Amino acid sequence: MKALFLGGVAADTARGIRAELPPALEVEIINDPIGRVRLGEVAPQADILVSNHWRADYPPAAKLRLVQSVATGVELFDLAALPKGCAVCNAFGHETAIAEFVVMAMLALHHRFFQIAGEFRAHGSWASSWVQGGTPHGEVRGTTLGIVGYGRVGREVARRAAPFGCRILAANRSPREAAPEVDRIYPLAELDRMLPECDTVAICTALGPETTGLIDAPRLALMKRGAFLINIARGQVIDEDALYAALRDNTIGGAAIDVWWQYPTHDDPTRRGSRHPFHELPNVIVTPHNSGWTQGMVRRRWDEIADNIHRFCRGDNLANLVATV
Amino acid sequence: MKTLFLGDFGARVAPPILAKVTEKLDTTVLGDLGDTQRLIPALAEAEIVVGHIWRKEFPEAPRLKLLQSTAAGLDLIDVPSLPGGVTICNVTGHEPAIAEYVLMTMLALSHRLLDIVTAFRAGSWAGGGAGGGPVHGELLGKTVGIVGYGGIGREVAKRATAFGCTVIAANRSPIADLGAAAEIYPLGEIDRMLPRCDIVVIAAGLGRETRGLIDANRLALMQPTALLINIGRALIVDEEALYTALRDGRIGGAALDVWWRYPSPAEPNARPSRFAFHELPNVLITPHCSSGTDGARDRRLSVVAGNLDRFVRGEPLTNVVMAT
Repeated sequence: MKALFLGGVAADTARGIRAELPPALEVEIINDPIGRVRLGEVAPQADILVSNHWRADYPPAAKLRLVQSVATGVELFDLAALPKGCAVCNAFGHETAIAEFVVMAMLALHHRFFQIAGEFRAHGSWASSWVQGGTPHGEVRGTTLGIVGYGRVGREVARRAAPFGCRILAANRSPREAAPEVDRIYPLAELDRMLPECDTVAICTALGPETTGLIDAPRLALMKRGAFLINIARGQVIDEDALYAALRDNTIGGAAIDVWWQYPTHDDPTRRGSRHPFHELPNVIVTPHNSGWTQGMVRRRWDEIADNIHRFCRGDNLANLVATV
Repeated sequence: MKTLFLGDFGARVAPPILAKVTEKLDTTVLGDLGDTQRLIPALAEAEIVVGHIWRKEFPEAPRLKLLQSTAAGLDLIDVPSLPGGVTICNVTGHEPAIAEYVLMTMLALSHRLLDIVTAFRAGSWAGGGAGGGPVHGELLGKTVGIVGYGGIGREVAKRATAFGCTVIAANRSPIADLGAAAEIYPLGEIDRMLPRCDIVVIAAGLGRETRGLIDANRLALMQPTALLINIGRALIVDEEALYTALRDGRIGGAALDVWWRYPSPAEPNARPSRFAFHELPNVLITPHCSSGTDGARDRRLSVVAGNLDRFVRGEPLTNVVMAT
């Protein structure tokens, strides 16, 4: 049995889990582009592919029975170029890390943390101090959090937000049973009834036909004037121009943005995440798509991948099966 | 009822408190504690004083019956110099706000939020997951040690356990109800607790047992990656020892909201320490504002207003700390 780990993240994974893999499994690692000349000899013999992509112009890999993605998304695998009957599995482990990010961002926005800590560090300004009679900032207690997309991430957010004493609402495409901490789950089509209730809106939905452009100018206008928007899902769920205008003109209170409308490319490695200067707005926390990118997430994914390879070698049912080609 | 709002802060909160008071009070407001000429007659007739400072050299206050502090800690009240028969009350309601601050800074330090945002604002995607950038930390599975398991400590514990943290605590007096904590150490055995912690939260009041508690030796007991969060009082931690531990990377980082130095009218932008904590990259600093939320302020002012009403009506008071 032979496993091919292809690409940088897969190569790291191979190094991380090698000792835990079945001793009989042969492991081939092809990381750098130069190594890819070997792809022609390795691919035809591989039973397992661990990677984040597979392209149509790669050499045929006729023996492949398991394609194990190192990420949750499998959109970079050209399924048509994989042999028939091959199982495609993905990996998770990021939900709890992203949920931590959402609650962190919610707290930082309500507490005006960046402004206060930034002023104190740069200028020694005590203006926000309680003992100096400074203007109070907000708190999460008693506010309403609306979670758009009540899936794996949304549930973890709700669980962590509940002990802060906030009311939790959610909107989801398909009907979901609410955990006790969630006050109410709206159908996604009734999102417009949820938005005006919320002091914080967290976008935790997948990108699809129903969610592309979901948060547009009219929906941003439904939000409270001081409300905060947090997006850890995909940039395209939100109308880029409308969000920039709302934040610039303070028609909403602020935002935390981890996912973007555009990404760096090989030719433009420092390309900004948007055509608008979100990074210049004081009420916006910007991060480079790394809300789930924690040590713990990497370890959990490695464990899931190692476990699935064991299952495959034993002939057991696979976990996280996305598709069978 | 002769009521004196005393001190700069007392003067500032007088209007919002009085807006909540329903009983009739005969109110004097004196912001400047150094104005002896006005302080002598004001204290001579005051039955209630609202303020968080009482100094030894204050003139006589023979009619004083209630000292209602506007703070939780009584460390600025010189109790021995108060006349006999005075009930001292504090305020609460800040616990949830401070617990939010503690969780926020725990998360921000673990996720390296400030570094990542600062670099990304400047245009660097280096912290990004897509490019296989360096990973940051998280709270899941971490051990949080709370020094001082009172109202704030309990609120922190409740929230931290929802993140999958194990919470342990050290407290001066024995604790019957553990709340969300898994284990409580006597404060005298804190040295056994510190090495276990990924995050140490100082949530104790300042007193004989806690002044200078976290000294160089105890900082050395902490893990080299451990985080220290102080929302208690600065003097619980040795200033120089903490600075050198952070500067030399002997602990992982800190979030500090309480300080060794505070501003004065002469020096309104006084740096909060004689050491340059504000230049250390692994330290989040804020100007004593963890309790400064709109909600906490409202809850605290309501405690004061409620006690003034109760005192006038002769009803039992809340938040009684001691009587002289």
